[in-house]
Amino acid sequence: MNTSYPGKWLVINLTSGEITKERIAPEVIKTFLGGRGIGAKQLWDRVPVDTDPLSAENVLIFAPGTLTGTSAPCSGRTTLLAKGPSTGYYLKTNVGGHLGIALKMAGTDGLVFTGQAAQPVYFVVTPDSCRLEPARKLWGQGVRTTTQALKEQYGQEAQIACIGPAGERQVLFASVMTSMYNAAARGGIGAVMGSKNLKAVVVDPAGGRVNVTDPTGFVQAAQRARDALYNDSIAHDLHKFGTARDVDLLNELHLLPTFNFRRSKLPGEVYSLSGRSWSELGYLRRIVGCGACIYSCHRFTGIERGPFGGTYSGGPEYETVAAFGSGCGVLDPEPVFAANALCNDLGLDTISTGNVIQWAMECTQRGILTPADCDGIELSFGAGNAVVKVVEKIAYREGIGDLLAEGVARAAKKVGKGSDQWAIQARGLEHSNVETRGAYSYALAFAVNPRGPDHLHSECLAEFGGTPEGIQLIERVTGDKKYAVPNVEDKRAEIVRWHEDIYAISDALGICAFATTAAYSLHEDLIANLLKTATGIALDVERLMRAGKRIGTLERCFNLREGLVPKKDDILPWRIMHEPQQDLSPGEPITPERLGRMLAEYYRLHGWNTIGYPTQRTLVSLGLEFILTQFPQLAANQNMRPSTENRSETSTGKR
Amino acid sequence: MTGRLIIEEEQCTGCVGCMLACSLAKEGAFSLSLSRINVLRNEEVADFRPRVCVQCLEAPCIVVCPVNALSRDTHTGAIHLDQGTCIGCQQCVDACPYNGVRFDDSRGMPLICDLCGGSPSCVEACRFPQAIRYEKEVDKR
Repeated sequence: MNTSYPGKWLVINLTSGEITKERIAPEVIKTFLGGRGIGAKQLWDRVPVDTDPLSAENVLIFAPGTLTGTSAPCSGRTTLLAKGPSTGYYLKTNVGGHLGIALKMAGTDGLVFTGQAAQPVYFVVTPDSCRLEPARKLWGQGVRTTTQALKEQYGQEAQIACIGPAGERQVLFASVMTSMYNAAARGGIGAVMGSKNLKAVVVDPAGGRVNVTDPTGFVQAAQRARDALYNDSIAHDLHKFGTARDVDLLNELHLLPTFNFRRSKLPGEVYSLSGRSWSELGYLRRIVGCGACIYSCHRFTGIERGPFGGTYSGGPEYETVAAFGSGCGVLDPEPVFAANALCNDLGLDTISTGNVIQWAMECTQRGILTPADCDGIELSFGAGNAVVKVVEKIAYREGIGDLLAEGVARAAKKVGKGSDQWAIQARGLEHSNVETRGAYSYALAFAVNPRGPDHLHSECLAEFGGTPEGIQLIERVTGDKKYAVPNVEDKRAEIVRWHEDIYAISDALGICAFATTAAYSLHEDLIANLLKTATGIALDVERLMRAGKRIGTLERCFNLREGLVPKKDDILPWRIMHEPQQDLSPGEPITPERLGRMLAEYYRLHGWNTIGYPTQRTLVSLGLEFILTQFPQLAANQNMRPSTENRSETSTGKR
Repeated sequence: MTGRLIIEEEQCTGCVGCMLACSLAKEGAFSLSLSRINVLRNEEVADFRPRVCVQCLEAPCIVVCPVNALSRDTHTGAIHLDQGTCIGCQQCVDACPYNGVRFDDSRGMPLICDLCGGSPSCVEACRFPQAIRYEKEVDKR
């Protein structure tokens, strides 16, 4: 039968050079769908407990979605997975651009890199062949030079994923860059690639094709999905102004993380940091779309003249603007564009890079770090030029950069003097730029996110009640639209649970989460219809959502197997839990008690016991029995009874 | 009637949604090599240039074809390829001043837009930027 996801994976042993084909069984595809789902299963199967994330025993997985390579709107995405070096836990990071489509056209539903190459190599895959090539000449090069050199050799249509100098030096928040400016950014996925001596993956899609089960039905399903997305109230702004469109609005709402999360409103004019202004200010050069995207929220920007003249790159996205702009107290957009461009070329996650620089700025302000400690750089809030200088030092691990390259948790541990209290991280991952003291669904979602505190396992935008579609979703999930307010505890667990499930499905199918959890118009039935016509896998909405829950539960179990202790690890950064946000009213901290109440409800809804372990019954109901046999220690925690009746089966999102 | 695709190059976001929609419509599968529309993408400078047959009134491809495999469809006004007659010489590819004709190496055959019989799939895929429009016009020739 024709399908958009035949389950053809390649396993590349970088130690031996051996490449083997693996076929994912149809029942596994039906259970885990594809992309992040099958990637999570591969990670569970292949990474032994206690593996050092930067050793040969870790794996690096590239997993395009089930629908990737088709014309399903916003379906061009790829998930990268490994055991994460910043946290030591599960790491998935999802990226747009055009890599995913190329991989699927090349007949590949997934790549698993195992082992460690003795010398730098890159991997080439085409519809007819695959091989490893020496990468000695590329090692040391930036992302732009590497990508250009490989495109010169393999053609402009070839898609390149690569690391920059930061990944080579195993900076713990190094990214893997694809399509030159699209980052699989978080958690140090680039450090894993660097540890394997793998410089790049080259995908030549020429001559390849992707089939679907029911072409006529698929055309209709895609058109319905496109209609829904086109008519969503967020759609036009997202296309026209990108993800950074509302920086000024967030500032007015006192929800813009500023000065290392001490404030949530910047004094002064922030319009030029907002994506709305970039066209009139001459920075916006092109609106850019990831593969098959109808929104095209990505930007291509540049600076004509001045100290940063000649800078050009993809982005910056909202998170980057907040990380280097508002977070660092920098109101001038030009150093933000410059820091963004450097991160893209050196292969760094902008969120973590900005976060760790903000921590160093606060250390400087408190007299704990001096300019002498920082190679003569005066790292004070507002110093845009200093930000740009430090970015480069981090990538090359020079001077102060070597300390910061370890991530904010390790840097704070090394510096001591209480600086862990303003290291805005939990479990080793830097918190992304959401003021979680003013957004309780986000706070809960961040605390339980398997990869650490950010918005990219469950983006709960609907709780702000900013669009009619978001309000409708809240009503659908909680039973009442009155819960579309961000700073109440009630119903946050329900809201997070729905977002987690739909996010997992989006990542599994390769659909952008903006289509499901920013736009909120790509409803579950539309997704089910795309899946059915593309693969023949017919799931009703309840079963589809259960697949999302299954993926999330497997990820939770991966972390528990690695030794995650919920009571200690389902947490938020110290500042968020202990310091109020004076710019917000109420801006109370997400205290351990408050978080504890939301967690208790969250565990209960998931059918986990009171201390946060999935029960045997829940695992069986999700078809995850294999976890019980492969992870018998989980049973040791089963004597803790769930607080009330296990209600995991009622999760349909359509109550 | 003769219709044509109007391309607004600077609006193109390079998403290749048009290529995917086209290849499914014309080939029954998604392929970046078999779509009649081809987006030339320079990622470094985000320069995206859709290339497709613009249905020239005086079509050099028709003129140059040595075996008269190309003609104009009287109903849609689109260039029509007679696959049985085509010898795969690629002169039409070279003759097109707009790079609007691709070549399928596997079948030895040019790929020319036929406007999907008057309802082009690529237009439907290009919702937001509307870099591709279909213009129906009364034949004034």
